[in-house]
Amino acid sequence: MGGLLIPLALPAVLVASWQALGEAFGGVRMPLPSRVVVEGVALFASGELPSAMLQSLGRVFSGFLIAAVLAIPLGILMGTVRVVERNLDPLVESFRPVAAIALLPMAILWLGTGTPAAVMLVAYAAFFPILVNTIAGAKSVDRNLVNAAATMGLAPRAILRNVILPGAVPQIAVGLRVGLGIAWTAIVAAELAVGAKSGGGGSGGIGQMMFVFYAYSIELSRIVVCMAAVGVVSLTLDWLVRRGTRRLLKWKAT
Amino acid sequence: MTIEISNVTKWFALPDGSEAQALADTSFSVADGEFVVIVGPSGCGKTTILNMMAGLIMPTAGAITIDGRPIDGPGIDRGVMFQDYALFPWRSVEGNVGFALEHGPAGAAMDEAARARRITATIALVGLKGSEHKYPHQLSGGMRQRVAFARLLAYGPKVLLMDEPLAALDAQTRTILQEELLRVWGQALPAAERRTVVFITHAIDEAVFLADRIIVMGNGPGHVRDIVAVDLPRPRGDATRVDPRFQELVQKIWSQIKNEAYRAATA
Repeated sequence: MGGLLIPLALPAVLVASWQALGEAFGGVRMPLPSRVVVEGVALFASGELPSAMLQSLGRVFSGFLIAAVLAIPLGILMGTVRVVERNLDPLVESFRPVAAIALLPMAILWLGTGTPAAVMLVAYAAFFPILVNTIAGAKSVDRNLVNAAATMGLAPRAILRNVILPGAVPQIAVGLRVGLGIAWTAIVAAELAVGAKSGGGGSGGIGQMMFVFYAYSIELSRIVVCMAAVGVVSLTLDWLVRRGTRRLLKWKAT
Repeated sequence: MTIEISNVTKWFALPDGSEAQALADTSFSVADGEFVVIVGPSGCGKTTILNMMAGLIMPTAGAITIDGRPIDGPGIDRGVMFQDYALFPWRSVEGNVGFALEHGPAGAAMDEAARARRITATIALVGLKGSEHKYPHQLSGGMRQRVAFARLLAYGPKVLLMDEPLAALDAQTRTILQEELLRVWGQALPAAERRTVVFITHAIDEAVFLADRIIVMGNGPGHVRDIVAVDLPRPRGDATRVDPRFQELVQKIWSQIKNEAYRAATA
């Protein structure tokens, strides 16, 4: 019990003071913990929150999958073949610092305000951490293992698939974890911004739901509900990735 | 298979742009079915020459041929046992032993069942039964060494190139594995049925115990100092180690590399 009570003590104090200070000084729109809970239950029960969440998650997974499918093979090649890395590295490094959200105007112009634009942003955001980690992973593979495989007659392609790729898996797992986290933050930002453009149109998602509460009904408590939900989903995703990759990494010493 | 090393030199590029010479005008040959051991102080180019026989690096000048053909890259006729074993850490013992059969040309003509039989038999041969599903990090040094050896035997290269394979082991394990190595090499068989082995070591007694011939190398840059024929009878075993001739050969080789070894140790 004590183990659980101590980490919960500070949040409990904070929530209590939030409630007390809010009641004492806040106006009608002040999002109090009590109101947040009531709104949260209502949004959940009505199915609005779960369906918005599913919409966003669907986009995250599609974008994330596209990013992984592109970034892993490319990263393996860039980490192994010097010429490929030398040619692509400047390009990658010049796009990498450009935040996904900065691509939004183009994405909306080209793909509209719906799912394709959101998926594209997510894919873009998740692509770089996966790529950079895959490159590092491929480079970290012991040169002797490659030599060993070569003496067993493996062709370069077979070495990529059977030595470099499995050897890079620990680092790729890190990239996937970071990538998924970034993808999730990107989707919320993208949906918020798309909501701004389309005026609360039909593209849905948790980000747009927040935009509607902010721009149309000014329900701050509901926005806090969304924020909390985003946090919970993010934690869950991270936990799932860690669990999923642990099985792949059971050969590691620690 | 016969390996011929003729007037080989090797220069390496250093990070600062200059070059260092690892080998100077080195020549020797390895006969079919012969057990050749290379000894010499650190930095005498032993590993360099082994890697060239493996086809992993190319000589700067001179020629290396196998059965008359120049070596221009790795091939499954020559298997390498690396100093640090180079086991695939993500594959179990079974996965490591079967690697070449599964992914290389050596197993292309075998079906799944034949491969599995070969893997099981090889694991049993090196005494790893019961550890099939362990990962390299769960194994002791001696067991890893056995896995690396089994990985070679499983696909059966005709030439075994072994870079200090027993260096990291304790004395008892080492003694046992030396005898096992001779058994697997085929010391009880007629010479025509033996594999060809090139074996690097720092340990002179190990060299004398194993070898048909010993290539004694010196450094600064690496070169062949002497080639010593070991006339001890086979099969060799515990009796060999107490043979006066054994001690005599050990002394002879030690006297040749002593000065350089001292210099290397006190540098």
